[in-house]
Amino acid sequence: MTTPGARFYVDGWDPSYGASFEAAATGPAAPSSAQVETDAELPAVDWRAIDVRPGVRAPNVVLLVDGVRRIDASIWTAEEDGGSFPGVAASYAAGVVRCDLERGAAQLAGARVGRGLFTASPSAQEVVAGSIRYPVHRVSGTGELAKLPTAVQAPLTALEVAVSDAARTDGDLLVVDGPLRSRRNLPRTLGYIKTQHSQYLDARLTAVVTGLASGQRSPVFRVGTAWGGWSWYLRLPVLAGAPWAGIVRVECSPDLDISEAVELADLSLVTLPRFASTPYKDPRAPQNLIPIAGLERRLRALLGDSRLLHRALTAAARTGTTRR
Amino acid sequence: MTDDGFDAPVEGVGRVLGTADATPLQFWAAVSPGSYLQLDDVVVTRRELPDREPVTIAGVVTQVRARHEGAQFDSDVFAIADGTLPAQVQEAAEVTTTRVDPEFYVPPTPGAVVHRAEGDARARALHFDRMERRIPMGMGRDGVPVYLNADFLDGTRGAHVSISGISGVATKTSFATFLLYSVFRSGVLGGDAVNAKALIFNVKGEDLLFLDHPNARLDDATRAGYAKLGLDAGAFPDVRVYAPPRVGDSSGTPDVSSRLTGVDSFYWTLAEFCADRLLPYVFADADDERQQYTMVVHSVTAHLARYAQPADGGVSIDGVRLGGYAELVDHIVEQLNDDETRSEWAGSAVGLGTVNAFARRLIGSKKDLGRLIRGDLATRRPHSINTAESAQVTVVDLHNLPDRAQRFVVGVTLRSEFERKEKAGTAKPLLFVVLDELNKYAPREGSSPIKEVLLDIAERGRSLGVVLVGAQQTASEVERRIVTNSAIRVVGRLDPAEASRPEYGFLPPAQRQRALLAKPGTMFVNQPDIPVPLCLEFPFPAWATRVSEAGHPPSQTLRSITQTADPFAVVGSAGGTDDDIPF
Repeated sequence: MTTPGARFYVDGWDPSYGASFEAAATGPAAPSSAQVETDAELPAVDWRAIDVRPGVRAPNVVLLVDGVRRIDASIWTAEEDGGSFPGVAASYAAGVVRCDLERGAAQLAGARVGRGLFTASPSAQEVVAGSIRYPVHRVSGTGELAKLPTAVQAPLTALEVAVSDAARTDGDLLVVDGPLRSRRNLPRTLGYIKTQHSQYLDARLTAVVTGLASGQRSPVFRVGTAWGGWSWYLRLPVLAGAPWAGIVRVECSPDLDISEAVELADLSLVTLPRFASTPYKDPRAPQNLIPIAGLERRLRALLGDSRLLHRALTAAARTGTTRR
Repeated sequence: MTDDGFDAPVEGVGRVLGTADATPLQFWAAVSPGSYLQLDDVVVTRRELPDREPVTIAGVVTQVRARHEGAQFDSDVFAIADGTLPAQVQEAAEVTTTRVDPEFYVPPTPGAVVHRAEGDARARALHFDRMERRIPMGMGRDGVPVYLNADFLDGTRGAHVSISGISGVATKTSFATFLLYSVFRSGVLGGDAVNAKALIFNVKGEDLLFLDHPNARLDDATRAGYAKLGLDAGAFPDVRVYAPPRVGDSSGTPDVSSRLTGVDSFYWTLAEFCADRLLPYVFADADDERQQYTMVVHSVTAHLARYAQPADGGVSIDGVRLGGYAELVDHIVEQLNDDETRSEWAGSAVGLGTVNAFARRLIGSKKDLGRLIRGDLATRRPHSINTAESAQVTVVDLHNLPDRAQRFVVGVTLRSEFERKEKAGTAKPLLFVVLDELNKYAPREGSSPIKEVLLDIAERGRSLGVVLVGAQQTASEVERRIVTNSAIRVVGRLDPAEASRPEYGFLPPAQRQRALLAKPGTMFVNQPDIPVPLCLEFPFPAWATRVSEAGHPPSQTLRSITQTADPFAVVGSAGGTDDDIPF
């Protein structure tokens, strides 16, 4: 016998990617510690879903930036004093898709691949495996193995900034996959966060967010953390489902005026839904945008075959091509 | 370290693929952005070897494909066209190797640059550089001439051409005549071309009766096409047209409707019919050799040869003068039905049923052959087809004749030509025989006197200088020994069911598919030198192919048959050569 209870929904994302809303260890009801200023666009008492503003047109050119990384091998160094440091040989790639919506052509506008040996070992030298070089990126501190993968993020972000700079044109819109972080100063740039780790809003305002229909957004609010900025929620086209299904958070630079931020928010509402992916094609639909998914595939291909690189690294280690 | 994800622009047209196997005989090449390769393009690549000179691998594009890279689902194409999903269109071409130089069979290295072969490189790739004598056959898809190795046409190393294709669309006869034009006019055969003769049987319409008329629709573009092939656009200069006599016409005027001048009629006199033993050719049905009555045929033939005496156009046998084929047939039947004379004519051990089977068939031939075997026309009037004394091109019109008569004419004409060549004993001058509907004359099943003649030509003609240019809708229905003896095989548009037969095994799968939709004027030519058949387009005929296209007739066609006969020749000297003493 089943007793009537709360309705339930199946999250659209493949379980191996986690859920699209993860309120982390603090629990879903616990609010984020960040200072949130909710009265920016509308007074908090007046919060409601905002539709597409008439007259706002999507830009002709949208650039989407993303990066991928992969650990090719974990290594251990042998120091002269008998100690040993862990390290990872990682490949990472960043690319820009230039979606020319007017012409109907999405092109890889730039892609670059970087590789590196991330370790805290003071004596490590660059590794040459076949035709591939892994220059040393020295990590400060003790360099435990568990923390090394995050060390790849900094050069990857730098690479993303470099490729996106090269592809900018006037009047375009740059969408960065993930929080803006150090890229807050780029003009006409949106950060696109598909996984919600923190709950910035209180329960009443959260209800406004979960009550958004497809193609609506929440009012703009301001997150007061170090990496914060103007932010808003937006629901991508999705079949009615779980409260957080299809909800993404978009952020822009805190240096902008509230009117500029609202303008960007309106622009995002006409631009992003078009890129939403379909569930049977993408395990993270609809949040994982089609151009991003395509870009990630291309970038992974550019990283090279992992088995091949692993073999080359193993061979390099055996013959001692690690220069000392 | 960072490296650029994009390749530097490739010089050349593409690179050898690494995602599909590259083999010495076939490999795939990815086409660089901004370039293209089409079917039949000639490409070349190089392979460096550590201890020896580099190997040049040349080939012909036999398949091309384009696909979206980065798309996983079929519906991704909409996202790509919408401009939301990044994808790259990548074209790739399958290359079938035509030449490896030096012959060191290593695969090309994936990543090796593939160049479009032009000029000398193209000629080398297609083995044209090894051809001492090259006969232009038409233009390749790239607009550059494609050649035929004359060694494989004139009997030096091979002979005979087999052309297959659906009638009407495959333009088999047009290609055969163009090939002849090219042989005669390109100057490749040198002095041989001047003396070489052609015997063309016209089986459909009056298409081939205007070979000596310039084509009124010839335009400058076509002339330029001929010039590119090293040929002058024009009609055949020296053509003689023969047609059978009109039915029921006692004066023997040729039976043609569109061409009114310069046509001679051909026929055989009863005396020739008897003396040259032509009777077996009347019974040319495919399976007749297996029948009992062929015994009767041979003994009657022998009897006629022995006893028939020429008598004022006709013949006299046993004192009876016979003035026509019908009379001859009636006489033979009468003699066979007579108990006293039957054994004299048919031999002693022949049953009455067999004799009747013979008589029935002989009577059936009266209607068909009556106009071709004559006893009522002047003996000294020229009437026989003899290429040695005729013009360079001799056209024999058969289209008005019933089936049995067509077989008779083809069989007898070919036999006499072949015997004449046998007696001459030399291969030169060459004789090209163009015969359409070869499946009718040399079918795969059964045997007949005509098939024997054609087999003789196919197997021994090479050394005697008789080159058979045979055309048929279906090579699978033609005697296998004739097809296999043809050094050059040509295919126009094919019937889908026919294309899958083993006779077309020389076509790679992609070309076999293409042959199903080949345009008129497009042919695939396979010659022993080149491992891949070449696709070519031959130019629009510079001669008229129908009366509406015919320009001004050449002046010599105005001559009539009586004018060609020397009025001062002595009666009875049968053509009178100079060696004879006239009186």
